[in-house]
Amino acid sequence: MISLKNVSKWYGGFKVLSGCTTEVKKGDVVVVCGPSGSGKSTLIKCVNGLEPFQQGEITVDGISVGDPKTDLPRLRSRIGMVFQNFELFPHMTVTSNLTLAQVKVLGRSLDEATNKGLGLLERVGLTAHKDKYPGQLSGGQQQRVAIARALAMDPIAMLFDEPTSALDPEMINEVLDVMVALAKEGMTMMVVTHEMGFARKVAHRVIFMDGGEIIEDAAKDEFFGKPRSERAQQFLSKILHH
Amino acid sequence: MDSGFDFDVIQRSLPYLFKEGMTFTVTLTLLAMTGGIVFGTLLAMMRLSSFRPVSVLAGGYVNLMRSIPLVLVIFWFFFLVPYIGAWILREPNPVRVGTFWSALITFTMFEAAYYCEIMRAGIQSIPRGQVWSGYALGLNYWQTMAQIVLPQAFRNMLPVLLTQTIILFQDTSLVYVISATDFLGAASKIANRDYRLVEMYTFVAVVYFVVSYGLSVLVKHLQERVAIIK
Repeated sequence: MISLKNVSKWYGGFKVLSGCTTEVKKGDVVVVCGPSGSGKSTLIKCVNGLEPFQQGEITVDGISVGDPKTDLPRLRSRIGMVFQNFELFPHMTVTSNLTLAQVKVLGRSLDEATNKGLGLLERVGLTAHKDKYPGQLSGGQQQRVAIARALAMDPIAMLFDEPTSALDPEMINEVLDVMVALAKEGMTMMVVTHEMGFARKVAHRVIFMDGGEIIEDAAKDEFFGKPRSERAQQFLSKILHH
Repeated sequence: MDSGFDFDVIQRSLPYLFKEGMTFTVTLTLLAMTGGIVFGTLLAMMRLSSFRPVSVLAGGYVNLMRSIPLVLVIFWFFFLVPYIGAWILREPNPVRVGTFWSALITFTMFEAAYYCEIMRAGIQSIPRGQVWSGYALGLNYWQTMAQIVLPQAFRNMLPVLLTQTIILFQDTSLVYVISATDFLGAASKIANRDYRLVEMYTFVAVVYFVVSYGLSVLVKHLQERVAIIK
């Protein structure tokens, strides 16, 4: 479904990604972890072309992301993305947030889009908040709306860029629960996160990044059993032992 | 006690001052504001373009307009526009544009430079993540701008845009240099005809003050009402 081959990226003279190669198959849940500044967020933003990359190739469902001829908006509309800071549109109600792209991009009627949106809002347990503005919701609620908004586009895969990093601890679980449910339904997911509990529960594979490189790309049990690289062992011992 | 002033002249000339003069001033202000904001927003988007020729072109235009005195631009356009019109319409002789249209084109073009800088700040105040999230949903550049960035930028900048419009309202009085009958122009004509300069100019000043100050108070209230809940 998502395939990265030898992807490299520079910010000016600084190399942020270096020869990243990996694959996310249909129905796979792949967790990407690593210390901050390791290029995880940059990597996931390359997958739907939010960040350009200079070398290598990324394909999603067989379509090349880096090809200038690719209709990027169309491709992106098929990949859901959830951001660290939710990025709901603050000037629109929750319902409008859910319907905007369905109407503008997929050409659905407003009725159809509203039905679809409200159905997903119910799924994340926020029907009561449909007429509120994002600023009136808690962080956890906003993130759940953001997930519903992405799902409303019927995506073939979902990208999560540190979806719980900006949340208060007591709100992390409500978001993770939604993500776990999604994973169990067989959604193809690429998740940048430090939530190792989530990774243990639903991930098929774990990718460990450091310094813009993929250091470790292993099946979950293998990764948590004994990572091959010393760097990954250090990282795991730091985030698991407290 | 006879002060030698005759304030009756104001009452006598009220219909002329407002029907002719103020109508001209207000129409010019509103149309130039609308045109200026539309054109200014486009300029701001151009200035922020990653395609260098476009941003350099827009930047050059804005810097040019902001570096020339307004009176000069009014004069310059007044004499230039007829020739540009002739060139566009392929007429052999300069086109008669009239003071109103000449003034409108001038103020739209001139104010666009100022509105551009306001809208540029407004666009830049929107976090990059908002643009990303628009793109991630499949919206293209124009849709992201129209649905997400500009509505927020516009709301954030509304007080500044309106404050700039109050300045525009005052600046339109400069059209006296092309003999247009705006509010000040109308008052000026009466003042000279009846030789009541002090009375008329005092009255004009009071009206400009009341309108401008009243609007600025209104802007303050509006600011609190349109703020986006964050």
